[in-house]
Amino acid sequence: MAKKQRGKSASSSKTADIKQQTDHFSLMLESSDDEAPEEVTFEDSKAEALRSMKQALDTARREKEQLKEKRRKRQELFQEQKKRKLLPADVLEEIDSAPSQTQKQCQEDAEEEEQEAEEDEQRKKKRKRSGKLAHARNLKGNYTVQTAKERESASFQQQAAEDFLQSRMYGPGSCRTTSNELLSLQNKTGRNKSAAVQFVKKDWACNEKAKAEKLKKRWVHKQQIPSC
Amino acid sequence: MGEFKVHRVRFFDYMPTAIRAMAFNSRTERLALARADGALEIFNFADNYFQEKVIPGQDGRAVEALCWVGQRLFSAGLNGEITEYDLENLRPRYTVEAYGGPIWTISSNSQGTLLAVSRRERNFNDIQCFDFVFCDLLGRIISLSWHPSGTLIAAGMMDMIRIFDAETGRATHRLLVERGVGASKSKEVVVWSIVFLSDHTIVSGDSAGKVQIWDGVTGTLVRTQLVTKWDVLALSVSNDESSLVAGTSEGTVVQFQFISSTVGQQDKEWVRTRTFKNHSHDVRALAHTETAVVSGGMDTQLVVRPLLDKVEKNTQESALRKMTLPHRSLVCCAKKAGLLLFQFPDHLELWRLGESDGHGKPGDSLPVKRKPEKLIQLKRKGEDHICCSALSPCGGWLAYSTVTSFRLYRLQNNNISITKVSKLPKDLRSAHQLCFSPDSSKLFASSSHSSVIVVALNQPECKYLHTLKPKSGSRQPVHLLFASEDGKWLATANTDCEIHVYNLDKLKLHCTVPVYSSCPTAIAIHPTTSNLVAVHADQQIFEFSLVQKEYTEWSRKLQKQGLHSLWLERDTPITHVAFNPQNPAHIILHDTFMFCIIDQSLPLPEAKTPFYNQMTLRSLPEPQRIIHSHAFKICKNFQHLMCVSLLEDHSLVVVERPLLNIMSQLPAPVRQKKFAT
Repeated sequence: MAKKQRGKSASSSKTADIKQQTDHFSLMLESSDDEAPEEVTFEDSKAEALRSMKQALDTARREKEQLKEKRRKRQELFQEQKKRKLLPADVLEEIDSAPSQTQKQCQEDAEEEEQEAEEDEQRKKKRKRSGKLAHARNLKGNYTVQTAKERESASFQQQAAEDFLQSRMYGPGSCRTTSNELLSLQNKTGRNKSAAVQFVKKDWACNEKAKAEKLKKRWVHKQQIPSC
Repeated sequence: MGEFKVHRVRFFDYMPTAIRAMAFNSRTERLALARADGALEIFNFADNYFQEKVIPGQDGRAVEALCWVGQRLFSAGLNGEITEYDLENLRPRYTVEAYGGPIWTISSNSQGTLLAVSRRERNFNDIQCFDFVFCDLLGRIISLSWHPSGTLIAAGMMDMIRIFDAETGRATHRLLVERGVGASKSKEVVVWSIVFLSDHTIVSGDSAGKVQIWDGVTGTLVRTQLVTKWDVLALSVSNDESSLVAGTSEGTVVQFQFISSTVGQQDKEWVRTRTFKNHSHDVRALAHTETAVVSGGMDTQLVVRPLLDKVEKNTQESALRKMTLPHRSLVCCAKKAGLLLFQFPDHLELWRLGESDGHGKPGDSLPVKRKPEKLIQLKRKGEDHICCSALSPCGGWLAYSTVTSFRLYRLQNNNISITKVSKLPKDLRSAHQLCFSPDSSKLFASSSHSSVIVVALNQPECKYLHTLKPKSGSRQPVHLLFASEDGKWLATANTDCEIHVYNLDKLKLHCTVPVYSSCPTAIAIHPTTSNLVAVHADQQIFEFSLVQKEYTEWSRKLQKQGLHSLWLERDTPITHVAFNPQNPAHIILHDTFMFCIIDQSLPLPEAKTPFYNQMTLRSLPEPQRIIHSHAFKICKNFQHLMCVSLLEDHSLVVVERPLLNIMSQLPAPVRQKKFAT
């Protein structure tokens, strides 16, 4: 009689429950088919419905929690593995404890590392490093760490600043003309009027002159063909 | 009198760079100028506007602003660095990082204690004083000005102006700037320059072409003046705050004066008075001195316009001055080998002169048998620009120096192959000026504090010989060097106006020429008479006998009579002095617009005689010429001269740089629509 409920939604489970109850009641009363179905009070059915809903929510929550637990366990496992891969903690401390003045970016990274290292370690006193080599740090052994390229971010900002200036002065909307036009206008409106500068100066506008030569040759050739 | 075959050289592609910033120091009367390639120049306004010092630029140094604090010069650039310059050793003294971003402007308070610098760092933008940092979110400070009391700072940004309190760092007022009309309404307006006056008036120039006058106490707009259709890029106010100039993108400089609009009334206001159009391209930098307006911009010329209400009209003082070419020689001529060395900021070019064996009348162009050819192009190593260079007269040695390094090369195989001399003496690290001895056996390099290092050149290497030091202990650099033909004397001149002569046989100081108040611009020693000829920035000429250690007769006669007024009114300095081996009485000088041969055997010109009389003399018959001719023979056929030199085969080399060639390579000017064009 009890129906198996597998993955049913709340409403269907509700109806199934009600059905179950009515079946239950009918079992107890051994009712005949003539009799009307049992009266179930509103409160009872409401209580039943709420209970079933809560049950469904509980199962969902439990499932979620189980999944979370699994994920957390996995994450811890990875952390463990990562920790085993990192340098020993005292070496990390050495790196953290010497911020250099000109390496702002490195300082930020070092701060991150420091926070990580401090999760497990206690805070040690910071050593001040004043050295001839401001950009190199001596770690254990006889090798040094140096930044390969300095101030990359600064050159990017400098480029951005120059681009800003270039776009405001010479970009769109700045109404610029060429020096050719400026000088040609001066030639034409001056006291001794002469031609535009590309015709006056021999080595100006070489490309245009070459193109004009070619065009002239082609035209002359075309003129000659029908004649001969 | 003299007929010369002239090598007319126009293949020196010298290109000056645009002027980005300038600052005038009224106490020392010096103007500091910063160019787009990072080079710095110092002009002495009290000494006929002579370009005293040049600090070469550096790759990556983009100077945006300059500032004098007392005698110290600071610059700030888009690479985020503030640099102080050592003006005695002509190099940057040290550099301070301003942490994080390009610096747009720099300005010092009147007490000279704090330096405010504006920069942009990622999302926020701030002003950093050497004690503190102000923050302003989401803005970009382009221009700055201190109130003379040092308590307030006005900052020009995009679309607005903010006034900050210098002690607390908080913004007190925000003034909104209107955008342009029409199409430019959608673009943000940039307040390019701003000036804070002592009566709390703020004047701003912006990219919509307006000059606006604000009341800094109440934060309201007092007056707007539309000056141009393009941008107003620079502003400068005079010391007494009665006059203001604004520079625009179309090359005009507009003056505003604080006067009452009707005579006799008390209430003064800012009224637009004069407009100067002295530039063809944008005016990026301005300075307002006591008597003149100095402007410079993308057309690379420095223009000094004296104001006619401060100076007397129609005098030498009131003339417009334009500085186009540098006041030093960038061309070195090897007299025996017929080679030319051109100095560019980033490379050197070695050319061989062409040949022609035609003959002709004066004024003819001779046919060229062999064209001039470029033999070597030598690129410099490192980031610093070339400071000075020299070529030995035989064409066998080449040397150049930057602020950090010095290089010497040996040229062989008829000057085609070049080998570097690797072992250099330790003392020879960098030089302000270089000079080879005429027999190419020694090299003279001027180093710190007016001393000169002498180095012997033996075949594959060079050896340090001696350091020559003057007795006066001057700390200024030596900017002129000349070694005499017979190898006995070396003359040096420094920017303290001292000329010292050393005896090279004994390697010690021989004598010091009496100090004249103007800086020497060219010196030379006559090959036979051993007389030192010195020309100064105020166009005076002196001749000093080295043997007798006193001024010569001719020099005393010249001083007594005085130079002709047209000679003294020339506005470019003489940069080179040479002698004619065929005629020992000749001295050949040149400046930018003319070259002159002084004949010491002829009488000096009187004040009333026509000075430029070459044309008239040519038209006169032979016997009459002698009556009318005088000592100064001037030729103006070749213009914008960079070098005039005499070769061993008695032909003249004239290196010209026509202004049209420079103008044709300048960046784009604004388009101005004129009627009927």
